[in-house]
Amino acid sequence: MKNSITKNKKQYFKNISIFIFWILVWQSLHLIIGRDIYVPSPFSVLIKLKELLFVPRFWLSVIYSIYRVLVGLLLSIILGIIVAIISSLNKYFHDLIKPFMTIIKSTPVLSFIIIALIWFSSSNVPIFICFLMCFPIIWTNVVEGINQVDVKLLEMAKIYKVKRINILKKIYISSVLPYFTAACITCLGLAWKVGVAAEVLSHPQNSIGSHLYSAKVYLDSTELFAWTLVVILLSLLFEIIFAKIIYKITNKRFSKS
Amino acid sequence: MNIEVKNISKSYDDLKVIIDFNMCFSSNRIHCFFGPSGCGKTTLANILTGVISADSGHVIGKNNKKISYIFQEDRLLPWATVKENILFVLDSFHNKSEAQLLADKYLSMVDLLKFKNHYPHQLSGGMKQRVSIARAFAYGGEILVMDEPFKGLHLGLKKNLMDYIIDNWNHESSFLFFITHDIDEAIYMADDIYIFNGPPLKLKRRVTIDTSREDRRNNKKLETYKKIILEDN
Ligand SMILES: Nc1ncnc2c1ncn2[C@@H]1O[C@H](COP(=O)(O)OP(=O)(O)O)[C@@H](O)[C@H]1O
Ligand SMILES: [Mg+2]
Repeated sequence: MKNSITKNKKQYFKNISIFIFWILVWQSLHLIIGRDIYVPSPFSVLIKLKELLFVPRFWLSVIYSIYRVLVGLLLSIILGIIVAIISSLNKYFHDLIKPFMTIIKSTPVLSFIIIALIWFSSSNVPIFICFLMCFPIIWTNVVEGINQVDVKLLEMAKIYKVKRINILKKIYISSVLPYFTAACITCLGLAWKVGVAAEVLSHPQNSIGSHLYSAKVYLDSTELFAWTLVVILLSLLFEIIFAKIIYKITNKRFSKS
Repeated sequence: MNIEVKNISKSYDDLKVIIDFNMCFSSNRIHCFFGPSGCGKTTLANILTGVISADSGHVIGKNNKKISYIFQEDRLLPWATVKENILFVLDSFHNKSEAQLLADKYLSMVDLLKFKNHYPHQLSGGMKQRVSIARAFAYGGEILVMDEPFKGLHLGLKKNLMDYIIDNWNHESSFLFFITHDIDEAIYMADDIYIFNGPPLKLKRRVTIDTSREDRRNNKKLETYKKIILEDN
């Protein structure tokens, strides 16, 4: 117990040192280059961020961006799982769908954003793009997870006449869960990246992307960095919350007897 | 009552494991499949029980009997504890409290009650094998298949388990198939020993052991059988 506390402390200390190191690198770059427009100092970025925190529009933009990313993510997760299940049940469907997924994966996201600008209203473009980019990842991983289900366990369950619902819960879902989790973690990061990129080009009313865009127009690098920092923090926050949820789910399953 | 395989064949790619094979097993006996590894014993047992289907041929007399199968591999759910693994097969036939009791009873039989909340990856090979044995017994099939069930177990526990099986399985309508390549196990347990070779699977010889269980426990007359079987190999 005591050991693990000191270990935690050590880890904490290490992380802080790494953080300070990179802030110092950033500050040195700022000093060497000497012009705010290329690399603003970390301190002015932090001050800018603090200012933003007191502007109501900041929060409105953050909330709307979160909303778009979340809706896009949820759509991709739900549809990704459904399509993956159908693909695993039917090989023809799988083979039919596969090239579509490959194409989505290798098409530049900007091509999709531009075509989406033509198809959708500005607020829906980021949702669509989030969905489109995450969907193939969820699909691929869930299909892979279902493929990896151990046939020997299925045979065992069949011989012992285990109910289908239990086979689904205790074999299929348990096997697929790690693949699904990995896909979600990848998607959480990606969704923020492509979602904000779509916002920059579609500039909906309240969005982080629109602020990034106007920062660019006014050559306000400090603000650009501050908003970028917001995106990074949000993305991290999402990942932490998601990890907590998954931990809760798996732990509950593992500890009940 | 009999279970019969009729004209069964099975190949994997180019390997013909079983060709047009016939055999008949009566209930109330312990049938032992004996033979070198790779000759097709597991495949035969799998077809007998319906774990896999034959390419052609029939299995007759299995009807809807409950089957307990101790697989050659442990086949435990890696994400479930020892106890959950046993409860997994009891859910369809017992209510919650019955299942709990059964699971505990058979876990203590294989000496694993203390480990009931462990996960398979925390156990040794022999311990996992014991969980698989407990699962089969707790389930209580009328057909019991044991595919090299005692590998990795020390002699004392192995003897206890063999005696337990001999004393406790329900003779009347039950079938017991026991696969091994350990000759001492075979002679100790079996009523009939089928000596196979292959692939393709061939019945080389059938040896019926007439010595009473009591005599076997006292190690009488077993050496003679051992000689007969070893000569044959
Ligand atoms: N799923 C499989 N795919 C391909 N070959 C297999 C498979 N299962 C068994 N075999 C082959 O069939 C033969 C018989 O296997 P098996 O019945 O497991 O033998 P035994 O149980 O007597 O050791 C072996 O040569 C093995 O390699
Ligand atoms: Mg085998």
